[in-house]
Amino acid sequence: MSYKIISALSALALALGLAAPAAAQTYAIQGGTVHTLSGDPFVGTVVIRDGRILAVGPDVQAPAGAEIVDATGKHVYPGLFDAVSGLGLTEVGAVDVTNDAREQGDFNPHLQAATAIHPATEHIPVARANGITITMAAPQGGSGAIVGQASLIGLDGWTVEEMWIDPGAAMVINYPTLGGGGGRGGGGRGGRGGGTWSEQEERYEAAVVQLDEWMDAGRRYSAAVSAGADLRRDLKMEAMARVVNREIPVLLSADGERNIRNAVLWAKRQEIRYVITGGREGWKIADWLAENDVPMILSGTQSMPAGADASYDEAYANPGRLYAAGVKIAFATFNSADSRTLPYEAAQAVPYGLPAEAALDAITKNAAEMLGLDDRIGTIEEGKLANIIVTDGNPLEIQTNVTDLFILGRSVSTDNKHKSLYDRYRARPSRRVIS
Amino acid sequence: MRPRFQIPGLGKAWGARAIFGLLAAFVVAPQAAYGQPRPTSPVGVRLYAIQNARIVTVSGQTIDRGTVIVQNGIIAAVGSNVSVPAGAWVIDGTGKTVYPGLFDALTTLGHGSVAPQQGGFFGGGGPGGAVDDSNHSWGPEDRPGTSSWLTAADDLDAEDDRLHSWRSAGFTTVLSTLPTGLVTGQAAVLNLGSYARPRELVVATPVAMRVNLLDRSFTGYPGSSMGVFAYLKQLYYDGKNYQDVWAAYDANPRGKQRPEWDLALEPVRQQLREGWPVLFPATNRNEVGQAIKTTREMGVTPIVYGAQGAYAAADLLASAGISTLVNLDWPSAPANGDPDAVPALAQLRLYDRAPTTPGILAAAGVKFAFYSGGLSNASDMVSSARRAIAQGLSEADAIRAFTLSPAEIFGVADRLGSIEQGKIANLVVTSGNIFTEGTEIESIFVDGEMFDGSETTAAGPDADGPTSAAGRGGRGGRGGGRSTGPDMEAPPIPMSADKGAFRSDPVTFITGATIMTASHGTIENGDIIIRNGKIAEVGTGLSRPSGARVVDATGKFVTPGIIDAHSHLAAGSINEGSVSVSSMVTIEDVIEPEDNGIYLALAGGVTSMNVLHGSANPIGGGNAVLKLRWGADADDMLIGAHPGIKFALGENTKRDRNPDRYPATRMGVQDVIRQAFLDAQEYMKEHDAYEAGGSQGVAPRRDLKLESLMQILKGDRWVHSHSYRADEILQLIRLADEFGFTIRTFQHVLEGYKVADEIAAHGAGASTFSDWWAYKVEAYDAIPYNAALMADRGVLVSINSDSGEEIRHLNQEAAKTMKWGDMEEEPALRLVTLNPAIQLGIDDQTGSIDEGKDADLVIWEGHPLSMFGKAVQTYVDGMLYFDLEMDLERQAAIADEKGALMEKHGSGEAGGRSSTDRVASPRLSGEDINR
Repeated sequence: MSYKIISALSALALALGLAAPAAAQTYAIQGGTVHTLSGDPFVGTVVIRDGRILAVGPDVQAPAGAEIVDATGKHVYPGLFDAVSGLGLTEVGAVDVTNDAREQGDFNPHLQAATAIHPATEHIPVARANGITITMAAPQGGSGAIVGQASLIGLDGWTVEEMWIDPGAAMVINYPTLGGGGGRGGGGRGGRGGGTWSEQEERYEAAVVQLDEWMDAGRRYSAAVSAGADLRRDLKMEAMARVVNREIPVLLSADGERNIRNAVLWAKRQEIRYVITGGREGWKIADWLAENDVPMILSGTQSMPAGADASYDEAYANPGRLYAAGVKIAFATFNSADSRTLPYEAAQAVPYGLPAEAALDAITKNAAEMLGLDDRIGTIEEGKLANIIVTDGNPLEIQTNVTDLFILGRSVSTDNKHKSLYDRYRARPSRRVIS
Repeated sequence: MRPRFQIPGLGKAWGARAIFGLLAAFVVAPQAAYGQPRPTSPVGVRLYAIQNARIVTVSGQTIDRGTVIVQNGIIAAVGSNVSVPAGAWVIDGTGKTVYPGLFDALTTLGHGSVAPQQGGFFGGGGPGGAVDDSNHSWGPEDRPGTSSWLTAADDLDAEDDRLHSWRSAGFTTVLSTLPTGLVTGQAAVLNLGSYARPRELVVATPVAMRVNLLDRSFTGYPGSSMGVFAYLKQLYYDGKNYQDVWAAYDANPRGKQRPEWDLALEPVRQQLREGWPVLFPATNRNEVGQAIKTTREMGVTPIVYGAQGAYAAADLLASAGISTLVNLDWPSAPANGDPDAVPALAQLRLYDRAPTTPGILAAAGVKFAFYSGGLSNASDMVSSARRAIAQGLSEADAIRAFTLSPAEIFGVADRLGSIEQGKIANLVVTSGNIFTEGTEIESIFVDGEMFDGSETTAAGPDADGPTSAAGRGGRGGRGGGRSTGPDMEAPPIPMSADKGAFRSDPVTFITGATIMTASHGTIENGDIIIRNGKIAEVGTGLSRPSGARVVDATGKFVTPGIIDAHSHLAAGSINEGSVSVSSMVTIEDVIEPEDNGIYLALAGGVTSMNVLHGSANPIGGGNAVLKLRWGADADDMLIGAHPGIKFALGENTKRDRNPDRYPATRMGVQDVIRQAFLDAQEYMKEHDAYEAGGSQGVAPRRDLKLESLMQILKGDRWVHSHSYRADEILQLIRLADEFGFTIRTFQHVLEGYKVADEIAAHGAGASTFSDWWAYKVEAYDAIPYNAALMADRGVLVSINSDSGEEIRHLNQEAAKTMKWGDMEEEPALRLVTLNPAIQLGIDDQTGSIDEGKDADLVIWEGHPLSMFGKAVQTYVDGMLYFDLEMDLERQAAIADEKGALMEKHGSGEAGGRSSTDRVASPRLSGEDINR
């Protein structure tokens, strides 16, 4: 039942453009340098109405009654997109009961992150203050698991309905790892999971067989339903049907070179829509990934090298090498509290070979394109959802501040827990202990 | 009549045993005696003559054709003109070679099938009393890891098959040790003859005390490698004190309280008095350094064992005059592992170079002997030695390492180890050169008794050769037949220059840079002259000194080297979390100078770091402030900073543990610290009184734990305290005020902004993260404005990494304070340069670009307080340790070397394995609780 309702809501949301239309407020952001990321920057105006971008251009006039946002001397960018995060699903890492990202079991394709997203989490305003406006909040699971569905949300809303853009936007599948997976020191100590190589291979093959079975079950179910079979509803199979029928993409995690290759070959064999997530050793097979048009959402640019004795900048240079080979890349934090550091994950790659413009694309529009969301998000173009930030500099730079935020067309404050604690304790009267 | 020898020290140990009737040591039925004579051997003969043989005496010239007379168990005569006495059993040695019996210098023979001792009969026997049934050690006073009173001469297991098989392979003598524990007990030299009673095997005992650095027979303290070092030091300090206390009492017992008798310390005082050595494990150069340093503090002479990586430590061993036991179980790539896995360079080099170690030790004049390590067939030892010979060891030195050298090392060279008149008749008769493939062991003499060795070959089927032995399979578990092992003749792959400075110039001239001094502003278009490792001049328009290497830094930025006030890189262990107070341990004991993280940090512009103990307990251990002199030995990285110690408050210290450990609340945390300082005050009183009295009489017991705390009370050791919540910060400030010391820094201190005034008033510094938060409850109020807010209130603030990755971009972390809290550029830069230098007490040496300071500098492309800044050169002491261009050459050289090494060693032969000597690698991982 819940699935149907959510589907219906989704459909409605799509029809309306967003889940819960905000008050029909019109904004005109004027005077700033507009980086639409669909064309060259210009000084001009962006008009927002009913959650969407109504107009954008150098000569656009503010409509009568619009609230004017003076961006003179500032920059206007698409809101940043943390392509995979845990926002809303966790509050305090060390306290298990505050974590809703990881369900039990290896086969939970019907579970949706949106069900558990906590709209009042302190993490969201913190991320927002550094320009993160949308994310795919994703559940987590073990190796070889079909984990559940990631939900595309805007980072503002009193309720999750006000936040979501698509509660079932992608399926998370953790492709099983074989061997050390390129982890630090891998190969030195017998590999992850231990055992002999043949034992590891056996475990891996069994995990792949299991994944195949789940996929095949989805196909059989879908075929039976299409053929009009009178079946008891199976929520898991309904979800799998969306995957095998290419309705939604799969976020397919793989980090080591061998595992990326295996995951890609599996996805091709299954003929699914997919994005590789993680991708730390992608640089080793960059050309192959480019030839195969493999889209990648990268994590851990700021990481130590994976291989023993690897070059110090192995992780820093990975995005630039993939980009140079022609692979489409995006970045994500795969985190909640640290979601605000998304721009630095991209910027870290810039001195190591990734052009700054490409880095910016990779935290705004690229993931939207990979996931088939680019009709709605990613750039400042007429008709798209109004996720926009106004800044005093390049969002990739640490010292840049976000001065204004628009999420799903709503003007949103940059205030957050950290700012209010700062204000409060900055105002603490000097030490009052009577000695 | 069998020869008898004096056994030094045995009487004492037996006395103790007799008193307590502990061991039914030698109650072995004669029927169970091992080593029944073979039917082909003569029985009851006491007089042999081996004629016309080649005699390798080892101690003197080899006799090409001579005679050895064996009478009543000893060598009655040897020479080329020796006449055969009447009645002798004559063996025609024509074409044969006689060697001294081989000596395996470290084994557990006679104890292999015995269940390991679990802490001894008195449950440790320390002054702290009994250990509970679970064998958990609650602290240094429990000693389940020590069984110093046990001797390998006792309880010999006649059923140990190796007693036969070793002899059949030509080994007449072994050093036998007990395997279990940290101080496992006393080693004995055994002869592998056939005796009615096992006690007749014993040649000498005790000859050494065996130490392991890893033992799993108990839980609790010590639970880390640094804990083990502290434990060993304390045990021997206690032994020394025990010696002094008893000496004073024995000299004049009247009117004195009798000292407590201590089972574990009795043998230690005997050892200290008689000077027998300690068998101490060490594989590589760093571990050899640790062995030297630790045994020096223990007051004993080490014999290093393991030593496969000692090819890089021959100078240390030679200059310290340390005898070395080389494990002949050469390491190799693990079998049936990930076919794509590439081991770390250090591991591959060990595979490649371990067999070069004996030749290198010989050339350096280090006395060394061989032992079997993990080899299950004694005959493999000779084939393993052939690899060493192929890698440069002379055959003469090889046979010496199997015979006379171990005899010398264990003090029995007056009675065995060579073929000399009057020595024990331990001999091996072979069909030829023992190191030639296919040579057969024909007979073996032990204590003058002959055994048939015809079923064995000395150089058994080696990795290179076809199986040649009759009646025997290949090497255990490795399969017979052709092997894919490395060519043993091939020289080692040349080592690339992966460590050390890229270059070192007496004078360097950096010109045209934007110099961010961190102390006196930014100099545009500035120059720096580095002379002899120091900043000689800094300013504008300096003239280029003659002979200087010129670095054109036009368009680039120069900052002081980054300093990390909180790291755990290069530490062999991090937490001694087994106890609530572990002030006896120190990171300085376990620095790993080869941790690749050091190089990675240099590439991020880091030049110094404070390596801290973890946060598992309220009072942790000592820290180590290092300069990143990549390639230097551990001690040469230490820069003599003011000693420090880690404290920790809050969640990490009070979390659930198994078994339960006090404290479980912040109340308890404070109590633990307060009680410890009360103890330290008493300790201080006692020691101060002793010194005030002119240090007369027996010095009070030295206690490493309390000594370290006493140093805090005296201001000689600084406290760096892990903390999160505001209330716990104040709690420690109150406690420090109570005991009259000042907290040097609060680490992490994520709620420091709430009590910044109090921190400033106390005079503590603060070292925090830039923007981590919410990973635990006490980090839920963490804010990225923390550093700026504390600085505003007058606290000396630094930003630290606590992470191998974060340390590589501390410049960015500093820049975040300009965003969150609007710090100015220079104060922000100081957060990772001058301020941590002040906090660590090294600001007179480093931390800013000022004349006279060490030339610890970073050249950046792009502004360093930006995401786009990138270190292109890092100088430590004026030497170039990181360079963007040279790094590429370095990487290429490493890749080439690894390629060649993988070609040679990558395909692990079936059954191959990495080092099997579990005690040779003293690595233990502590609890990984840092943040």
